[in-house]
Amino acid sequence: MNKAVISVLGPDRPGIIAAATRILFEQDCNIENVSQTILQSEFSGIFIVAMSGDLTIQDLHQYLKEGLNPLNLHVYVKNLDTPGIEFSVENSEPFIITTKGPDRKGLVAAVTEIIARYGANVTNLQAVFKGGDDPENNIMIYEVDVPNDIDQQALYKDLRAKAIELSLNISIQHRNVFEAINRI
Amino acid sequence: MLTDREILSTLEMLQNEHLDVRTVTLGINLLDCASHDLNRLKDNIFNRIADLAGNLVRVCNQIGDKYGIPVVNKRISVSPIAVVAGPFSSSQMIEIAGVLNRAAAEVNVDFIGGFTALVEKGISRGDRALIDAIPEALAETDRVCASVNVASTRAGINMDAVYLMGQKIKRAAGLSAKNDGIACAKLCVFANIPQDIPFMAGAYLGIGEADAVINVGVSGPGVVKKAVDRALAANPRMDLGRISELIKRTAYKVTRVGELIGREVAKNLDIRFGVADLSLAPTPNVGDSVGEIFQSLGLLSIGVPGTTAALALINDAVKKGGAFASSHVGGLSGSFLPVSEDLNISEAARNGHLSIEKLEALTSVCSVGLDMVAIPGETTEDTIAAIIADEMAIGVINNKTTATRLIPVPGKKAGDSAYFGGLLGQSVIMPVNNARGANPFIRLGGRIPAPIQSLTN
Repeated sequence: MNKAVISVLGPDRPGIIAAATRILFEQDCNIENVSQTILQSEFSGIFIVAMSGDLTIQDLHQYLKEGLNPLNLHVYVKNLDTPGIEFSVENSEPFIITTKGPDRKGLVAAVTEIIARYGANVTNLQAVFKGGDDPENNIMIYEVDVPNDIDQQALYKDLRAKAIELSLNISIQHRNVFEAINRI
Repeated sequence: MLTDREILSTLEMLQNEHLDVRTVTLGINLLDCASHDLNRLKDNIFNRIADLAGNLVRVCNQIGDKYGIPVVNKRISVSPIAVVAGPFSSSQMIEIAGVLNRAAAEVNVDFIGGFTALVEKGISRGDRALIDAIPEALAETDRVCASVNVASTRAGINMDAVYLMGQKIKRAAGLSAKNDGIACAKLCVFANIPQDIPFMAGAYLGIGEADAVINVGVSGPGVVKKAVDRALAANPRMDLGRISELIKRTAYKVTRVGELIGREVAKNLDIRFGVADLSLAPTPNVGDSVGEIFQSLGLLSIGVPGTTAALALINDAVKKGGAFASSHVGGLSGSFLPVSEDLNISEAARNGHLSIEKLEALTSVCSVGLDMVAIPGETTEDTIAAIIADEMAIGVINNKTTATRLIPVPGKKAGDSAYFGGLLGQSVIMPVNNARGANPFIRLGGRIPAPIQSLTN
């Protein structure tokens, strides 16, 4: 069965999910995963659906556009590619990297460049930049799977050096600690 | 998925409050090391410890690095030597203490506990040999810790053993006179000793335990104090019910982390995880004090009126939070008030706010006992034994663990200072009522019968 990835983007308002899922239901699509988030006033949603019968990506895209464009939403639809070489979670440890510090351009790029260079995978990123120099107003939280077979100490050293360069207060902590403290 | 608020509040706790795991203690069963041949027994003991504990320190450091939470102390507890070495004489027991000391040094562990006898109901030949060996064994080694259980709710108080311990403490102090009687800092006398204490000097591995077990002391007085400080700064009118709730939540978090690390160490060493001990255990560092919590709660100092009520509140909240956080709670799980090891408590004693009698009263709610209390060198063995007997009575009647770690500092009197160094700290010497007197009551000996509350079947 073909699977499609649908992304919906536009100004947030009540009824976006209802409108999108009604169209999917009408086209006999089965929703397998949904994730949505709202940044400031902008809605973004991503759906993975199993398509039935002879429905094509182009048809699905057309139906969604017709239904969602009146809500000022942009829609993108593509085939779900068969997974290629995946990052293996079994051979990695989940860490949470948190930074606080003055806002400036290029913070996320600088941190993620190092994470990527070591082959570590960002699985979740939350960042809030309210601007200014108050560290509490500018926070990045990365959830990162760090492979066991890399030089983890070198990764942490590079991250800490970059943090000093950017005047960021950085913390690198295993996710299990957060889970242990916050989950029953 | 974790929320940003959960992540940030956890980080605040980790960064500002110096969270650590106070001790990971590897319990090693030595019962099958027994032999009629002393040299074989000594070899068996050394090899067993070197074999099982060889990786303990490395693994604890590795896990501590991984989580960014240090394991401060790595220690070993063993089966009671009075049982393992039952047939041997007192001088042979001293040799065995030497082996324990060498084995601890071999695996880079600072303290090894289990030079222990359990004599609450009677003293066997091996028990007597071990007790006689204690002064020399502790004076001649620096890593071996001894404990003697002289009372239990089920057996009553063995007053012969209590008096004997008064004598041995006095002798151990004399043998280590030039170090202010430091041998006594490694000797605990207990009522109702638990089998799985991870904390020194009282740790030993009980007869009912498996071949090896990892027990963890989670501690964190600094974390509790900071939580109280922060909450009261945000809301100075917070009432005690809410403070108790706050301490409970903090204890929950600290215990979860301790158990996480303990379990991971156990898994790496392929040894079963035993218990988390919830005791608040201070060190002589500022900010790592149990005494400071009392001041955060508004008391002038530990020891002033209100202290017993405050301790009851603190420790009950710690236990409630910890019990929910951990799958197996054990050990002492009380409050340690070691006078010399806690800067703030030591100051309270120096300023006259804290007396031995108040410390004894605190035992009745949840303190573990008279811990690291330096007393005048002239205190008689009768009086030392009498202080022990009083503490044991509180434990026996209240069905709880109590203990004493008394140090009669040779050549020094009340008000002088005693220096033990390192984690053992320093303290003013506390005055003792009837220090120099005889005590015919103690010398009557025999066994104070088990109390009526022991008849629970």
